[in-house]
Amino acid sequence: MDMGEERLSNAIGDMATLAQDSVVKAIEAYEQGQRVTDAAKKRADELSNLSAEVEELCVDLLARYQPVATDLRFIKSCLEISYGFNRFGRYAYDIAQVLELYGDLSDCDKTEVHEISEKVIKMIERSIQSFKTRDTELARSLRKDDDEVDRTYLKYAAAVAKDKATTVRCALASTLVLRYLERIADHACYIGDSVAYIITGTKM
Amino acid sequence: MTSEVLADLRIATVPDRSVRDFSSYKEKMRVTDLDAGFGKKKILEDISISFKENTVTALIGPSGCGKSTFIRCLNRMHEVTHGAWINGHIMLDGDDILAPSMDPVTVRRRIGMVFQKPNPFPTMSIYDNVAAGLRLNGVRDKKVISAAVEDTLKKSFLWDEIGDRMHESGASISGGQQQRLCIARTLAVQPEVVLMDEPCSALDPIATAKIEELITQLKATYTVIVVTHNMQQAARISDFTGFLYLGRLIEVGPTTEIFQNPKNELTERYISGKFG
Repeated sequence: MDMGEERLSNAIGDMATLAQDSVVKAIEAYEQGQRVTDAAKKRADELSNLSAEVEELCVDLLARYQPVATDLRFIKSCLEISYGFNRFGRYAYDIAQVLELYGDLSDCDKTEVHEISEKVIKMIERSIQSFKTRDTELARSLRKDDDEVDRTYLKYAAAVAKDKATTVRCALASTLVLRYLERIADHACYIGDSVAYIITGTKM
Repeated sequence: MTSEVLADLRIATVPDRSVRDFSSYKEKMRVTDLDAGFGKKKILEDISISFKENTVTALIGPSGCGKSTFIRCLNRMHEVTHGAWINGHIMLDGDDILAPSMDPVTVRRRIGMVFQKPNPFPTMSIYDNVAAGLRLNGVRDKKVISAAVEDTLKKSFLWDEIGDRMHESGASISGGQQQRLCIARTLAVQPEVVLMDEPCSALDPIATAKIEELITQLKATYTVIVVTHNMQQAARISDFTGFLYLGRLIEVGPTTEIFQNPKNELTERYISGKFG
């Protein structure tokens, strides 16, 4: 069982690295106007495959060892965490596609995207750190940041509709990217919840 | 499909397992400050636990922790062993079964027991095995006995399998069937509580699955207390689980909580297979 859990931890660690990298690269590319859809798709597919491997490993451990208590909570949480990382990859791909959809966006103001993406990337880092160190406080602190990201996104979405200075193309592109970032923040938050569940046995 | 049709399709012989609130369940037995042992050796120390009506409670713990001694205290079987002693209180519906005025035979009729190894009376037929308890309790009416035999064999999922072999020896059927015959024999005298001491330890997986299914059905009528070495079995069949270690009750609670989030580190380590 211990060896199985170690393999599971390593697989989640691999997913974490790739998922974080996917989001960071997608945001950088968006801000710099680089088209990286193919690379983003490749990373999303790889995350999807890793997620399937994690799922298989979890089912194998459940079938072989019928784990209970902390072991059971760890496996349940790994399934959820793996899904979260898988979604990071998918949203990173969605962000990359925005440039394909709207073409050159160099004339658009990307201040909001830049500010929120910095917060979201920090949330991703902290969700991964909380898993590695099993830090309940760090895991739970993600909820507060998620609320802030939600508020900022909703405020922007409401304001941009009334802003006549922003072109429709820029408004749509920014809103979409912010929406994907907001969803990534949600999943970082769920990862934190799953980490806290491993340690405390209490669901948020 | 209407909700009425869906309701009809549901098999509702036992309470929904997803219902985890047992607060409305009546208390059937309460053990308070129980100590027990043999001669100078103390086996059980300061055990207090309550058993709710129409529930299954599993008692788990490593070998030698006192599980079997404890369950034998619950129907005064413990005291039949030379040098055995017991202190404390065991209440059954408010009656202290350890009180000097309490007849042990009456206690054992109200609290039946199934043992680890199937032990049908080998010289008796299947029919007589089930009828034996009734006859010992003074029932003479053949119609009453026959009805009780059929009823308990049906309750034990045996009627369809051996209903046409009633006059064959109780020892002629398979081990799993013998154990269910023993359960039928216990049920025939209409107990209120059924104690089971590792009822599946001598059985193969198919026979075990049948006994486990039977146990979950029995709780609709009886209060069931099962000692088991098999943690997964405890998790599958019970509503409550108690963990005993070195003669003490370390933790007791709803099975879901014990197996997902035990409060005591010893319980966590034991159920995770870290010791025992």
